[in-house]
Amino acid sequence: MATTTKDDHGHGHDDGAVHAHVSSVPFYLLIFGALIFFTVLTVGQSYVDLGKLNLLFVILIASCKASLVVLFFMHLRHDNKVHGVFFVCGLLFIGVFFAYTFNDTEHRAEMEETSSVPVLPKTGEQAPGSMDEKAVLESRAKMVKEHHAGGGGGHGATPEKAPEHH
Amino acid sequence: MSSSTEAATDHGEHPYRGDDAHGGEHGHHGPKWLAHHFDTPVQQYDAAKLGMWAFLIQELLFFSGLFVAYGVYRSWHPEMFQQASHQLDKIMGGCNTIVLLFSSLTAALAVRSSQVGNRNATSRYLIITILCACTFLVIKYFEYSHKFHTGLLPGRFFHPHDLHGGATLPTNAHQFFSIYFLTTGVHGLHVAVGIGVLIWILRRNLRGDFSKEYFTPVDLAALYWHLVDLVWIYLFPLLYLI
Repeated sequence: MATTTKDDHGHGHDDGAVHAHVSSVPFYLLIFGALIFFTVLTVGQSYVDLGKLNLLFVILIASCKASLVVLFFMHLRHDNKVHGVFFVCGLLFIGVFFAYTFNDTEHRAEMEETSSVPVLPKTGEQAPGSMDEKAVLESRAKMVKEHHAGGGGGHGATPEKAPEHH
Repeated sequence: MSSSTEAATDHGEHPYRGDDAHGGEHGHHGPKWLAHHFDTPVQQYDAAKLGMWAFLIQELLFFSGLFVAYGVYRSWHPEMFQQASHQLDKIMGGCNTIVLLFSSLTAALAVRSSQVGNRNATSRYLIITILCACTFLVIKYFEYSHKFHTGLLPGRFFHPHDLHGGATLPTNAHQFFSIYFLTTGVHGLHVAVGIGVLIWILRRNLRGDFSKEYFTPVDLAALYWHLVDLVWIYLFPLLYLI
């Protein structure tokens, strides 16, 4: 809409010039007011503990603010539709990034101290298809030690650098 | 050029496309800000904006890596994240949010002034935007120096002491501060780059490069600035408030 002149300004012809949509100053001030309102709301909410809902609430408010900025300050509302398609595609790929990563990290097992059985930390159930991580770490440490003993030394991972996590 | 000239003749009189048809010198068409490989200003504007949006989306994907890291570690250690985030100053963070939102407003108004051809107003709004950006970095500096003094540092530099109300932090809280410094640091770098870009745009505006017909660089610089704001909109609550 911003860049095609045929439809929106009623000129019968395309003069090749840029005719961008211009919003009024009060309109921009209104958007700014809404952004400040949401900021005060989210800071105020942080003093009230909603438990698990905290995260949801925070993301929701931030997304409202982000939408206002993208739609009006960044003109996506009245812009060439292609830019909107680009933007939404980008968001989809961010979604893919989150989904695939969390599908891994949320389902990693921890070794149970006494039984050495890999369990899911959230439920306490035995992890499906999990490897014996302790054995993996030990064999890796051994490999590194052998590598260093073999005179290769001076580069690469040291045993204590092995992932300390889970 | 020949095919586009033919197309142009279909439209009849054309302020930007007609030169070749009138026997003008090749490559000399329209105003000097119109690159000669574009037929019309609108074509140049569309191409520039599309390129800018592609860049902005790349920036979002880049930042999403940091947000994924935040999400993973937060989900692994929810209690540690909660305790560690209490060490951040909500008031300073909140002030920075308002400063950045305000700078986004003035950036949008700078573009608007440029669109309607008010060059002085554009300069004014750009200056306010730059000052806000500097204010943001100054507040950030105070926050960082406080973290440095209390040893709330990333990775192996983490050695907390003299915390608020004698609070103690879990030993793995260095993970939170690694993420805090990385995300806010990369964001701060973007703010610093933004200041440079805005100063450059201001200089060009003062020189008279822009007009109602040609304001693309102001528009694109503002888009970048809004992106910096956008990232902070998510960073602030995720780091400071929960």
